[in-house]
Amino acid sequence: QALPSRSAPSSILVSTRQKGNPILNNIRSLPWEYGDIPADYVLGATTCALFLSLKYHRLHPEYIYSRIRALGHKYNLRVLLTMVDIQNHEESLKELSKTSLINDLTLILCWSAQEAGKYLELYKSYEHASPTSIRAPQASSYSEKLIEFITVPRSINKTDALSLVSAFGSVRAAVNARPEEIGEITGWGEKKVERWVGTVRENFRVRK
Amino acid sequence: MPSETAKPPVKLSLPLEYQQDCFSELRNEDELVILARGLGLLRVVTNLLHSYDAIGNNLVVVVGADERENGWIGEALAEHAAISKAPAARGLSQVNTDMMSVGMREKMYSQGGIFSITSRILVVDLLSKLLNPETVTGLVVLHSERIIATSIEAFVIRIYRQMNKVGFLKAFSDNPEPFTTGFAPLASMMRNLFLRTPSLWPRFHITVAKSLEGRKKAEVIELEVPMTDGMRAIQNAILECVEVSISELRKADTGLELDDWTLDSALHKSFDVIVRRQLDPIWHRVSYRTRQIVNDLSVLRGVLHALLTYDAVSFNKYLDTILAAHQPPPGSNRQNQSPWLFLDAANTIFETAKRRVYTGKPVDEEAPGASGALPDSLSPTLEEQPKWALLADILEEIEGDAYFNPGIRDDSNGTILMMCSDQGTCRQIREYVQNMHVRPQQATEDDDVDSDAEVKASATLMMRRKLRNYLNWKRDFARVSASLFTENQKVLESFTDQMGANGYRGKGPPNKRRRVRGGSSAASGGGRPVNSSLQMAADRESQLATLIANIQPADADSEQKDEVAVDSLDDMEGYFELYEMNDLVVVHPYEGDMDEHILEEVRPRYVIMYEPDAAFIRRVEVYRSSHNDRNVRVYFMYYGGSVEEQRYLSAVRREKDAFTRLIKEKGNMAVTITLDGAAPSDPQEQFLRTVNTRIAGGGRLAATAEPPRIVVDVREFRSSLPSLLHGRSNVVVPCMLTVADYVLTPNICIERKSVRDLISSFKNGRLFNQAETMLQYYKYPMLLIEFDQNKSFTLDTFGTDHTTNLSTANNPQDLQSKLALLTLAFPRLKIIWSSSPYQTAEIFDELKKQQEEPDPIKAVQTGLIAGEDPSDQSFNQTPQDMLRAVPGMTEKNLSRITLEVGNLADVSNLTEEELDVMIGKEAGRQVYRFFNRSVLED
Repeated sequence: QALPSRSAPSSILVSTRQKGNPILNNIRSLPWEYGDIPADYVLGATTCALFLSLKYHRLHPEYIYSRIRALGHKYNLRVLLTMVDIQNHEESLKELSKTSLINDLTLILCWSAQEAGKYLELYKSYEHASPTSIRAPQASSYSEKLIEFITVPRSINKTDALSLVSAFGSVRAAVNARPEEIGEITGWGEKKVERWVGTVRENFRVRK
Repeated sequence: MPSETAKPPVKLSLPLEYQQDCFSELRNEDELVILARGLGLLRVVTNLLHSYDAIGNNLVVVVGADERENGWIGEALAEHAAISKAPAARGLSQVNTDMMSVGMREKMYSQGGIFSITSRILVVDLLSKLLNPETVTGLVVLHSERIIATSIEAFVIRIYRQMNKVGFLKAFSDNPEPFTTGFAPLASMMRNLFLRTPSLWPRFHITVAKSLEGRKKAEVIELEVPMTDGMRAIQNAILECVEVSISELRKADTGLELDDWTLDSALHKSFDVIVRRQLDPIWHRVSYRTRQIVNDLSVLRGVLHALLTYDAVSFNKYLDTILAAHQPPPGSNRQNQSPWLFLDAANTIFETAKRRVYTGKPVDEEAPGASGALPDSLSPTLEEQPKWALLADILEEIEGDAYFNPGIRDDSNGTILMMCSDQGTCRQIREYVQNMHVRPQQATEDDDVDSDAEVKASATLMMRRKLRNYLNWKRDFARVSASLFTENQKVLESFTDQMGANGYRGKGPPNKRRRVRGGSSAASGGGRPVNSSLQMAADRESQLATLIANIQPADADSEQKDEVAVDSLDDMEGYFELYEMNDLVVVHPYEGDMDEHILEEVRPRYVIMYEPDAAFIRRVEVYRSSHNDRNVRVYFMYYGGSVEEQRYLSAVRREKDAFTRLIKEKGNMAVTITLDGAAPSDPQEQFLRTVNTRIAGGGRLAATAEPPRIVVDVREFRSSLPSLLHGRSNVVVPCMLTVADYVLTPNICIERKSVRDLISSFKNGRLFNQAETMLQYYKYPMLLIEFDQNKSFTLDTFGTDHTTNLSTANNPQDLQSKLALLTLAFPRLKIIWSSSPYQTAEIFDELKKQQEEPDPIKAVQTGLIAGEDPSDQSFNQTPQDMLRAVPGMTEKNLSRITLEVGNLADVSNLTEEELDVMIGKEAGRQVYRFFNRSVLED
C-alpha cells in the first residue's frame, strides 16, 4: 500500500472526516494537514489512530466497526483513541476491550480534547524516538539515587533518608547498622527502623 | 476460674464478669465481638482458642493476627495447656511465610490444632485444597474492622463458608471507629463476615462498668503540665503554617472540603490524614505542588509531635534535617519549595527552637563580618522539658510514700512502671532518670534538698552532652548537605542541557517570576528580614564557624562529668539489673495488648504515664480489678492545651461516639436480619446473585461445560481481583507464574498495574521488561491499567495548571508520554482500561468467552529456563525495588545478584572484585561506589 507518510513526514495527517473535531484545536505544537486516508489520523509511517467518542459510540455502535473494516490490516500500531465523555462507560469499554483484541487495536483512553490532542502530538513526536526513558531507570545524581534507594520502603521519607546517611556516613554503614543505632536518630521511630532493617536483611529470594 | 464448658475440665483465666459473659456467648454462637480498646480482647480470644485446643481433634484457623499477637497467642496457649493439663492440646502453629514448603504445610494441616495463617497463603491453600475447607472446625478472625468486601480476608471467609456450612466463625475487633463510616457500615460488615449477631462491649456497658468500678478501683492522679513559652510559640507558629498550607490547597482548586476547619482543629485532628483521604480519589491527577503541600502537612504534624516528645536539642536537630531535606537544588528553575518555609511563622519555629538551645545570636543577624565578635556572647540555654521536673517530683513523692508507709505489703512489687509512647521517649526518660539515680547514690540519701538540687544539675549535664553531640553532628551534616548540593548543581546543569537538546521546541523560558524570587533570595544580603528558606540556608553556612567556636565553652563545662553520662543502651540494662525487684524503675513504651503482659509481669505499685493513653488506663483498671491484693497508683501527665491533650480527649470521645452509633445501628439492624432470613438462607448464594448479574445470558450454556478457569500468580492475591474473579464463579488457580499475572486463555495473558504501580514500574524500567517477556511467550499479551474503585477514572491532570502546560511537549516524565512510548515500542501489546476491580472481572469474562481454558501447568512453565524450579522464582518485592535504584543495575545484573547474593546487607558488603566477577567491571564499580562512598567527604 502507498503509505502517506512519505508525502508529509513532519506533520500529522488528518482525515477530512475529522473536520470540526475540537481535538484539532488542541494540536498546537505540531503542524497538521488534511489528507485522504482510511484512518482518522496518521501519526507516522507505521502508526495511525482512530478517534471515537463514547457518546457517539453509544448512539451509533456500528460506526467504529465499519471504520475498522475500512482500515483493513494497514499500519503496525493502530491506536483507538477513545474519549470518555459519558458517566457509565463500563459496558462500552468492556466491548471495546474485546474489540481491540480481535481487531488488533491499541486502546488509549483520554478524558478531554486537550488530552487527546496531546496523545496525537506525543505519538507523532516520538515517531523515531527510542524507548530509553522507560527501558531502564533514569540516570540521576548520586544524592537523588541515594534518596530514591532509601525511600523505597514505605513510610520512609526524604528527611529520614538524609538523617540516616548523615548519621552513618555511607550507604553501606546505614545498611549494616543495628536497629538500636538507627533508633537513636531523631525522626526514626520503631516502625521505620523495623521496616528499614527488615527490608535490607530480607532475602531477595523466597527460598523454599 | 473454672469454666462452664461441659466436657473435660478446661481451665480458663477470665477473672472478670464481662469476660466470662463474652466467652460463654461466644461458645454458644457465631458472632462479631467488638470490645472497647484495653479491655483485654486477646485474653478472650486465647481462652476461646484454648477451649478448642484442649479438646483436641480440632482444626481452628486464626486469620488476621499480626506477629505480636501470634507470639501472645502461642505463649498463652502453651501456658493454658500446662495449667489445665490437657494432653490433647497442641498449641499454636504458625504459617506465615512462603518458607514452608507445600508438603510441610499439608502435613501440618492434617495433624490439626490451632493455626495462625497469613491470609495470602491461606487463600492459596484453600483454593488449591491443600487445606480442605471441609476439615476446618472453625475460623477465628481478628482485626475484623479491616475486612471490606474486596479484602483478602473476606475472600477467605467466603471460600470457607461456601465449602463448609457447619464450622464456626467468630470475628473480633477492638477498634470500633472503622465500623461507623459509610452507609449502614455495621450491616455491610456483617455481610462481609457472613455473620448475623454483633456483640458490643463498650466501656460503658453495664457489666463492664460493674466489673471495673467495684471497690478495687485503681487510684489515678491526673497532672497537667504547662508548656514553656518557647514551646507554645513554636506550637502556634506550626499551626499558622498548617493553616497557610491548607489555604494553599484550597486555592489549588482540587475540590477539597474542609468547611469545619478551624485553627484549633489542627490540634486534635490528624489533619494530614484527612486531607490525604479527601484527595485520594484524585491523587494521581493532582499537581506536583498539591502533592508537595500535602507532604508538608505530614511533616508539620511530625514537628508538632516532636515538639512535645523530643528534648530541645534533638528537636532543633530534627528541624535542621527537615530544612536540609527541603532545600531545593540551588538554581533550580522549578518553583518547588514548600510554601510554609516562606512564612514568618516558619522563621519563628526555627529561631525559637534554636533559642531553646542557645542564645546570644541576634535573630536576623546577616552580615558574616559581624559574626566575628559573637562567640563570647553565645551561651547555651538548654531548656528542659517541663515534664522532666514533674517526673522528678513524682519519683520523690513515691520514694517518700514508700518510706513513710512501708507497712502495706501486698502482692505487687514496689516497682515503678513508666509508660510512654515510643522507644525514643523511653530512651530520653531512661537517660534522665539514670542521671538522677546515679547522683543520690553518691550523696547521702535522706538529704532531700541536696538530692533535689542534684536532679536539676544532672538534667543540665545530659542536655549539655546532647548539645555537644549536636554541634559535632551539625558540622558533619553541613558537609553532607554541601556535598550533595554541589552534585545536584552539576546534574541540574547537564539536565537542562539535555532538555534543550531533546525538546521539540526547545526548553520553554523559565518563568520570570520564579527567576526573580530565586535571585532575590540568593542575593538578599540587604534589608529584608529573614523569611525565605534559601536565606536561612545561607545564614547557617556562614555561621558554621561561629557555631564551632560555640562548642568550646560547652565542652569545657561538661568534660569533667563525661564518664558519668554513658550513652549505650546495653550498659543501661546491666545497670538496672543491680537492683532488687522492689527498687526497679521500668520504662516501657505503649504496645497495645502487650501492655497487659507488662503489668502482669512487673506488678507495679506505681505507674507513671508520661503520655496519655486511654487504652492503657483501662488496662490498669482491668489489671487492678483482676487482682484483689494488688494496689496500684497511676500518675498521668500531659501538656495542657497541647496536641497531646486534644488527641487524648478526642480519642476517648471518638470511641464513645462510635459505640453509640453501633448500638443504634444494631437496634435498627433487626429489620435487615429478618429480611436476610426470608431470603435463601445461604449467604454465599446471595453474594453470587448480587455480583453475577449475567447468569441469565449465554453463560448458562457454557456453565454446563468446563467451568471457566483463570490462572493467577500467587503474588496477585494481595489484590482484590482474584476474590472478585472467584465471586463471578471462575475457578481461580493459584500458581507461581514467571510471565504475567493472569492467564485467561492459552493465548491471552495479562499484566495488572494499578496507576501507582504503573508510574513506578515505568520509572524503573520493569514494565518494559515485563512487556518484552510477555510478547515472547504469548500471542495476545495485555496490560491492564486498573484504577481503584473509589478513585476518579482519569489520568488527566487538573485544568489550568500552567506549569504542566508549559512543558507538556517536552516533559518525558508524565504518564501519557510513557504510555505512548510503550505502545510504540510494542505495537502488539494491548491495553485494557478498567475503572475498578469489579469492572476488570467483567472484562475478563468477556475476553474469555468462547475461548479455550488455560493450562495451569503450561502457564507455570512459561518463561522458565529448562530444569528451573518454579518456586525458585519467587522474590521479595521491596528489597528488589531498592536494588533497582542502585546505579549500574540493569535487569540482567539484578537477576544475577538476586540469585547469587542473599540480601541487601550482603550486597553492600561485597568487594569491588566480587561484584566485578558477577556483573562486570563498570557496573560493579558503580554499585560498589554507591554503597561505599562516604557522604562526609567530597
